[in-house]
Amino acid sequence: MHEVSIALSIMDIIVKKCREESCNKIDSVRLKIGKAAGVMPDALLFAFDNIKTDTIAKDAEMIIDIIPLGGTCNSCKRDFDTEEAYVLECPKCGSADFVINKGNEMEIIDMEVS
Amino acid sequence: MKVKVVTRILEANERLAEENKKRFKEAGLFVINLMGAPGAGKTTLLEKTIQKLKGKAKLGVIEGDIAGSDDAERINAAGVPVVQINTGGACHLDANMISGVLGELPLKDMNMLIIENVGNLVCPAEFKVGENIKAMVLSITEGHDKPLKYPLMFQESKALVLNKIDLVPYTNVDIEKIKKDALSLNPEIKIFEVSCSTGEGIDLWAEWLNGQRSK
Ligand SMILES: [Zn+2]
Repeated sequence: MHEVSIALSIMDIIVKKCREESCNKIDSVRLKIGKAAGVMPDALLFAFDNIKTDTIAKDAEMIIDIIPLGGTCNSCKRDFDTEEAYVLECPKCGSADFVINKGNEMEIIDMEVS
Repeated sequence: MKVKVVTRILEANERLAEENKKRFKEAGLFVINLMGAPGAGKTTLLEKTIQKLKGKAKLGVIEGDIAGSDDAERINAAGVPVVQINTGGACHLDANMISGVLGELPLKDMNMLIIENVGNLVCPAEFKVGENIKAMVLSITEGHDKPLKYPLMFQESKALVLNKIDLVPYTNVDIEKIKKDALSLNPEIKIFEVSCSTGEGIDLWAEWLNGQRSK
């Protein structure tokens, strides 16, 4: 349910950025959300659609790029990606000695304004 | 026109959390963000912890709830300063809510602040409030599937308090599985098995918590 708070934060950021560019309408916004970020994309889209009315983003489309969880194994030295929300062992060799380096993202990449 | 933004979405919250953290540090306060599902026993654990730390630490409490003030009244009765935050529907506390109530606590007379987050296993783990450590309470009656269903909170917490262990004989819960999965998600997590009704394990937890203060 924290998707509402997250949608409000996104709205704050993009409205401010749009004004800085001396524009007054947001047409789309593109996000990068990691699988392990604890955010449900559908809930976020729903929240955004509900708070955007009466704002300069009222016609804006939200596009979400989902980033899989991935890391590098210290044992077999290989990189891996997974569709899971967590990793307990290296999917390639089973080692528990690995570092996660993607999948926690929660970022705004860019937006289309006019 | 395309505009690059490249901004972390929770940046504003994280900035405020850093400000809180600075304020806590200046006041010499050790701050715990206590999380867990509704009914896990967070408030009861807090009452027991307050009793154990009487004379050892100077505590204050922030109670987060969606609505109501029952928990704050219980803590007040335990004899420590407390303020209540009603989130009015939000499922977690954020840094801004915390900074808004700090003025209502006698920070100078305290050296430890426990923030009881809103009952929820998901969202509180996402929003920093400026704490030194996060800790979570899980009652064994919630079932042994919780770590793998809600990995983020287990990964973020420095301690896991397994509450209601007196009920183990009456359930088919696999405590070893909870511990194993929690440790797989977070090899550093410190696990305490406690029962707030019999008092078992509370000593160890309270001592550990107080010991974290000087770290
Ligand atoms: Zn490997």
